[in-house]
Amino acid sequence: MKEKVLLKLDILADAAKYDVSCSSSGSSRGSGKGVGNARSCGVCHSFTEDGRCISLLKILYTNNCIYDCAYCVNRRSNDLPRAAFTPEELAGLTMNFYRRNYIEGLFLSSGVMRSPDYTMEQLNEVARKLRNEYRFNGYIHMKAIPGADPLLVREAGLLADRLSVNIEIPSEQQLLRLAPEKNYDTVFSPMNLISHSMLESREERKKYRKAPRFAPAGQSTQLIVGASPETDYTILKLASGLYGKQKLKRVYYSGFVPVNSYDSRLPALQQPPLVRENRLYQADWLMRFYHFRYDEILDEKHPVLEQGMDPKLAYALRNPHLYPVDLDRASYEEILRVPGIGVRSARIIVANRRFGRIGFGHLKKMGVALNRAKYFILCRELPARSNTLNSSQIRQRLVKSSNGAGKQLSLF
Amino acid sequence: MKITGPFIIYTYDGTIDGLFTVVFRAFQSRSAPREILSLRLGTQIPIGDITAVESCPEEAGRVRRGIIERSDERNLRLLQVAHLSESKQTDMLLWKYLKKLFAMPYGEYYRNMLDEDVYDLVQTARRVKKEVHRFHGFVRFQRTRDNMYVAAIDPDNDIVRLLAPHFKSRFPDRHWLIYDVRRKCGVFFDTQSVREVELEGNAFELDTGYIGQKARALDEDYYRKLWQTYYDSVNIQERKNSRQMRSFMPGRYWKYLPEKSKK
Repeated sequence: MKEKVLLKLDILADAAKYDVSCSSSGSSRGSGKGVGNARSCGVCHSFTEDGRCISLLKILYTNNCIYDCAYCVNRRSNDLPRAAFTPEELAGLTMNFYRRNYIEGLFLSSGVMRSPDYTMEQLNEVARKLRNEYRFNGYIHMKAIPGADPLLVREAGLLADRLSVNIEIPSEQQLLRLAPEKNYDTVFSPMNLISHSMLESREERKKYRKAPRFAPAGQSTQLIVGASPETDYTILKLASGLYGKQKLKRVYYSGFVPVNSYDSRLPALQQPPLVRENRLYQADWLMRFYHFRYDEILDEKHPVLEQGMDPKLAYALRNPHLYPVDLDRASYEEILRVPGIGVRSARIIVANRRFGRIGFGHLKKMGVALNRAKYFILCRELPARSNTLNSSQIRQRLVKSSNGAGKQLSLF
Repeated sequence: MKITGPFIIYTYDGTIDGLFTVVFRAFQSRSAPREILSLRLGTQIPIGDITAVESCPEEAGRVRRGIIERSDERNLRLLQVAHLSESKQTDMLLWKYLKKLFAMPYGEYYRNMLDEDVYDLVQTARRVKKEVHRFHGFVRFQRTRDNMYVAAIDPDNDIVRLLAPHFKSRFPDRHWLIYDVRRKCGVFFDTQSVREVELEGNAFELDTGYIGQKARALDEDYYRKLWQTYYDSVNIQERKNSRQMRSFMPGRYWKYLPEKSKK
């Protein structure tokens, strides 16, 4: 029995690892009469050798799958060991990990076994066991299985903190090519159902405090980058729509790891496109925390993020008329657009400049990247008209000074 | 008020009351410290003009009230958190900060992050809080044969007490203990309340943090093995980035993480 679970864990954790989402944030619930709680800030419990955070027990219910998607390691035509948990095994495993503080909760995904409805029902059964039998109030992230009955998805939303439906391929045309058994409708209908139910539950709770919460930590999705030929512009436009219309909490970008290299529909990659993935995350942060619109970061004439510099710096070099920004006077939004200045530093600058002029010493202490910022600001050491370099001169200096080719990049 | 110095080396017991008493005496005697040494961690005492200060609740209370008068309760808590930092300059930073705070009775000194000492104080407190947040994740409990959950930790700063509220609300239905093996101080929860404890002898193996085989629950080694298996399985070989892993989870924290120490 024990050996069996060990083997299943090995197979089904390995099979789940390509889903990059890990966050346990955005929900807050108390332990009540049971065990566990969810903290709105999220907690990382460990970090894998590839530098990603382990917050949740991320695992597949089964890696059996009726589909044959080109980009997926669990496609039915792959010859690999297959396994499936029982709801009891998985609930017990989650509790024992949670009690030892190994994890923040469960991230439950699955291959599609028998039918979407059957699979969704199994996932719900795991969550039901945890919530009702074990009185588990920790974090649960569940996949809504595309094609499952809306009633089952609704039930999942009442059990889980977060739901997600992965779009995977950033255009429908390419999805149809790589996963002929899927289409955008099977992805977007559960996604829209979830965002609608979240809104509904929020309205209900304004009227009745005890109305049930539906996916209180919202929903997320994943886009695979580099398995199909969409440009960064297409990807950011899609993501921006998902944040705006479907009110997604997060869009994850997953550099394509060439798993099924025999499939000629896929590009031949030596390495996952990690730099590109990193630039997309940076652009995503600009949209979510720096008040940038997607069409300010890229447009149809510039559809690709520069690999050699972060997207904010690229934006600044394309828009020299917006700089230099006077740190003693400019608005918070303007200061946010200075390369090298982050959200925290911008806040400190705006809240404290009434005490005196901002200088290099202050900026350094705050952790501002002065080597970039100095070309785009006015401050104590940089009075008006001291910044006289043009964009191409700045570009030349910055690309020279940060020529860290081959350096590994940070994911988040 | 004129303060002369710095000449004197003050020693104190390492508590926040002790430090506030040092501040009180320094003001009273108008003699600034050259150094302030906490005796808690077996500090070597240098030769020189040393004044050993014993913690005095009444004098510390006056300093506390003064801090609240010139700033607010929240700022007092910030100072208390910063004091848990074990970086060498912390005590002197707190002195410099308080000297300025008390020199400006109605000013907004404590809000001015452009002042070096204010900024450093906020940063010091932030670092302590960051380590608390890290340990919300890095604490690893082992189940004992009598169904208690126990964990050994060895953090940089003296944070074990600050961990209690999080674990109290997460595991309200079990007895648990988190023990700082280097500072020999722990927090114990008995499903009702948290109290501070000091253990006699070595309940934890110092190099692994494990409790003895006889004390462990029968399934403990099994779940540890499962966890180690899980840790290895979720790694994506093609994306290996050990530098990043280390920056989030520095090597000094590994010894009590079963997934990293592999014993």
